[in-house]
Amino acid sequence: MLTLAILIPFIGAMTLAFMPKIERETARIIAVGTSSLSFLLLLVVWAQFDTGAGAPAFQALTEIEWIPSLGVAWRVGVDGMSLALSLMSGVLFIACTAWPMENPERPRAYYAWFLFLEAVSLGLFLVLDLLIFYVFFDLSLVGMFFLIGRWGHEGSQRAAFKFFIYTLAGSLAILLAIIGLVLSVDPITFDMRALIEAQPLAGMDLRGGLILLGFVVGFAIKAPLFPVHTWLPPAHVMAPGPASAILAGVLLKMGTYGLVRIPFQMMRETFADYALPLAIIALASIIWGAVVALGQTDMKRRIAYTSINHMGYTVMGIAAAGALLNGSEGAREMALTGAVVEMVAHGLITGALFLIAGGFWTRSKTYELDAFGGLANVAPRMTVAAVIAAFASLGLPGLAGFVAEVQIFVGTFAVFPWIAAIGLLGILITAALFLRLLQQVFFGDLPKAREGFPDVGLREGTVLAALLSLVILIGVYPRWLLDLIGSASSAMIGG
Amino acid sequence: MMLWLLPLVPILAGAIIATLGDRSRLSLGIMTVATLGTTLLLALLGVSQDWTATLVWTDVIRLSAAFVPVSAAVAIMVPTVALAVVFHATQNESKSGLARLIGLMILFTGGMELVVVANDLLTLLIGWELIGACSWALISHKWRKLDNPQSGLYAFVVTRTGDLGLFAALMALFTATGSFDYAGIQSLGGPLQWIVGFGILFSAASKAGQVPFSPWLFRAMAGPTSVSALLHAATLVAAGAYLVARLHPQLAEVPGFEATAIAIGLTTALAGGITGILQNHAKRLLAASTSAQLGFMFVAIGAGYPSIAVLHMIVHATFKAPLFLSAGIAGDAAGTYRLDRLRLGRELPVVAALTIIAIAGLAGLVGSGGGWSKEEIIKASEHTGFWLALTVMAGGALSAIYATRFQLLAYGRRDKDADSRATSAPGWVALIGIAALTMMTLTLSLLWFSPVAETAAAALDTTLPKGSTLVFGLSLLFVFTGIAIGVYLVRYHPALGATGPAAIASDWLGLPKLIDIVLVRPADAIAVAAARMDDRVVDRGIRGTAACGDWLARTAAKADDRVVDRGVRGTAVFGDWLARVGNRFGEAITDGIPEASARLTDMIGQDLRRLQTGLSHHYYAYIIGGVFAIFAILVVGA
Repeated sequence: MLTLAILIPFIGAMTLAFMPKIERETARIIAVGTSSLSFLLLLVVWAQFDTGAGAPAFQALTEIEWIPSLGVAWRVGVDGMSLALSLMSGVLFIACTAWPMENPERPRAYYAWFLFLEAVSLGLFLVLDLLIFYVFFDLSLVGMFFLIGRWGHEGSQRAAFKFFIYTLAGSLAILLAIIGLVLSVDPITFDMRALIEAQPLAGMDLRGGLILLGFVVGFAIKAPLFPVHTWLPPAHVMAPGPASAILAGVLLKMGTYGLVRIPFQMMRETFADYALPLAIIALASIIWGAVVALGQTDMKRRIAYTSINHMGYTVMGIAAAGALLNGSEGAREMALTGAVVEMVAHGLITGALFLIAGGFWTRSKTYELDAFGGLANVAPRMTVAAVIAAFASLGLPGLAGFVAEVQIFVGTFAVFPWIAAIGLLGILITAALFLRLLQQVFFGDLPKAREGFPDVGLREGTVLAALLSLVILIGVYPRWLLDLIGSASSAMIGG
Repeated sequence: MMLWLLPLVPILAGAIIATLGDRSRLSLGIMTVATLGTTLLLALLGVSQDWTATLVWTDVIRLSAAFVPVSAAVAIMVPTVALAVVFHATQNESKSGLARLIGLMILFTGGMELVVVANDLLTLLIGWELIGACSWALISHKWRKLDNPQSGLYAFVVTRTGDLGLFAALMALFTATGSFDYAGIQSLGGPLQWIVGFGILFSAASKAGQVPFSPWLFRAMAGPTSVSALLHAATLVAAGAYLVARLHPQLAEVPGFEATAIAIGLTTALAGGITGILQNHAKRLLAASTSAQLGFMFVAIGAGYPSIAVLHMIVHATFKAPLFLSAGIAGDAAGTYRLDRLRLGRELPVVAALTIIAIAGLAGLVGSGGGWSKEEIIKASEHTGFWLALTVMAGGALSAIYATRFQLLAYGRRDKDADSRATSAPGWVALIGIAALTMMTLTLSLLWFSPVAETAAAALDTTLPKGSTLVFGLSLLFVFTGIAIGVYLVRYHPALGATGPAAIASDWLGLPKLIDIVLVRPADAIAVAAARMDDRVVDRGIRGTAACGDWLARTAAKADDRVVDRGVRGTAVFGDWLARVGNRFGEAITDGIPEASARLTDMIGQDLRRLQTGLSHHYYAYIIGGVFAIFAILVVGA
């Protein structure tokens, strides 16, 4: 089932790539159709997923031998965390393929790359084999590189190039770390479950530390965390809106997901030793991301920097959850659940924000905040969507971000009280920066040049409404999501 | 589960009404009466049947709601006052965006009900932040004038600063007890108890407009007058005092809690009183008075009489709401809120008469509800010390001064031969809201009859403090002196606070300026500087990458054998550049970066050579090559 969920978008991508003479509308329908089909399969998996206390951590398993002598195999399976993330990715891919193209050239290739990226992203979350995980990790760069470079705005080649080089450097660090990790088990295996079981680096100080460093550097670049975040803003600014939404919503999660799945789960002792420095880096990302975002004059850069801030919260929760081997189970479990909810919530919220920002580019060819004003006059529906998304992003209760952040902060406080306390400043600064954005863009006088600014259309409206209803649903009644994610985090903390 | 209906009905109904678009005043009025009437019924029903509710998020996170005597009283007061105020808004506020305004006000009321019935800190925080966000939307209501959303932002950011205290309390409580229940607060000790106690007090002080958070109440005056009435009487501001009163039993044991509450309350009562006296802006005078009156409540709570504070809150709601509505009517009639230009006694005789009933409460006259609850607070503070009672009396005298000023300047009569103004008196429907509120405040005068007062105290599960006759006599003296000074000021300095040093002092004694210089500007400057710093790094990156891109294009065009050669040189250039960036960045931020950059440089440099064509199929080939390399390593390693 899971294999199929990965294969379907891939087949869709191949179809679009090799079948000539597919019109734009047809291509879009194929893209939305395949991603919906793949999402449906994930829903079926979810329906069968057992979140009970005694249930196995990984379910819906499939294993096909590939290179038995090296312990490499096609292994897929999900726990509560990866299922939640892949479901979120599924939603976001449907939303982004349904969203109108910003730059309507070469639609066939555009949708093909989207589907390719979907296959790769789902693959990354669903596989349980380290080697294949790495392959998908790198392939995701390729997909995004072309989406930014070929459909981005003027000068996007450079941003794409920078993005590619920077994150590739990170993934090389991960490759080295993977090799180091795998070589320390006997017999060699790339099976994630076996590695989690074996805890191969327990008791190895220097080697464990270096391998952890490799993983942390690689995943920190991808997340991204301060100070290796500088590839993110130009990539976002140059990317078309839907690609930005995927970049922020799905690709950044690969960093934090990897951080949990590999160092956190497979090398608990080493991770616990270095949890405090990691938490401090996360704190720096929270504050730096928020402060720099406040100083931006470009709407998309501002949103991009808040991503750094939000990934900071996530990593802070992860670090707190992994800081101890015993004790404070309740709080650490909450921190980890919060971190995973933040990944899901941030995907939906920032996805919506970037789509809205993309809408601004389509209409006005600029992201400069100063170029706008009083848009509530002409685009009331867009105003409502932006207000909800902005408030969700600043962590207002009743919306998804709050459910995540409150758990992260409460959980972290039990382990690192000072870091959590200082991190609270982040939610204050994000409040100020989002309200200023809304004020600048939607309120006050309408500039002459914007009098013809069209409101969101039916298609955009439907996509935004769907994303934001999920955000509200999670905010008001999150139990269904927390049950799913909680099953994973209690297994990780308890085990 | 039934108790969730109490906040949920107005929240949902409000959200729906807000999106309805243009509706007539009549239909909006009917919807308001229906929704808030239902809310009031639900509150009465819930209190009489002692409803509770829980909502499970996870095993450890459950939201809960329940009534205690204090919350029951406030839960009934909120929709009662809101009904009158919102109905007034449907008939009096300007037509543009009226449905949105009414819907949001109803939603706001629902958020307040959530705060009132919350039985754990998380539920409280949810309601608490919701009403903060509603206040942003309501203050920004007339968004076409950029000044209004700016004021909304100011209000939201200041109150959210306060919310951080609640976040801190929440974190500390959970760390200590593993749950968010109010009940756990009592069992705390040590620094965690301190964080919970003062976190909550900090948060409450910010919402209640206490010093040093008071200036946001002035900015909040940018909203429509009905919003101010709702905000000051029944919801946001009142929530601050309500919270401390509600949690007083749990917090009284925190060392220094009561003393700090008294200190905050007293400072605000006096500073707010002086600010109110100096104000020449009708709404701001009332806003300063709200801070001061909430200060009295904080004093009562600190003195150990939270129920008295709640009684004063209820009475205050019934006289402050009509005063704001009256100021709105006067402002509309005169086209200004400047007190020295109003004197509308002749034009608005009915409003003037209604206002005088409400103003009696603000002045704390004997026989008015406001006078009664203020005397009770003085009695309560006498138990702490005579000096405290005396200071509260002084605060009472200040109230009497600004109340007198407000009434005489707003509704005094001008000479007959003064230039006539074309003002249209509002129709009777437009006065229903304010009249109903005035009736409520008049009814509360009955508290002066001790059986009524005893019943009220019994309903709140408390007894009234006993005070000495001497103090009561002194207090009367203070009030009448205050009124006399008020009359004197109106006669000889009618334009007090319009110009000169008084005008400057009337802006919260310079506090907003201080906040601006100490907090707002540095924060902005830091943000801009940080952005520039981040940009410089990024900018260099882009330029460096551009250089790489050019080099890449050139190399791709050359023959194969020269590629490697060039590539090596290009890599060197790139590496050089990256090292410089690393160096610069490192100096700017940390010492550790150059090392990491150097490592990165090495990796990037090596990889760059493989990537120089930029074509995807090469890249795939590299991946496959990489896979084989891994196998090789593995084989050797095995």
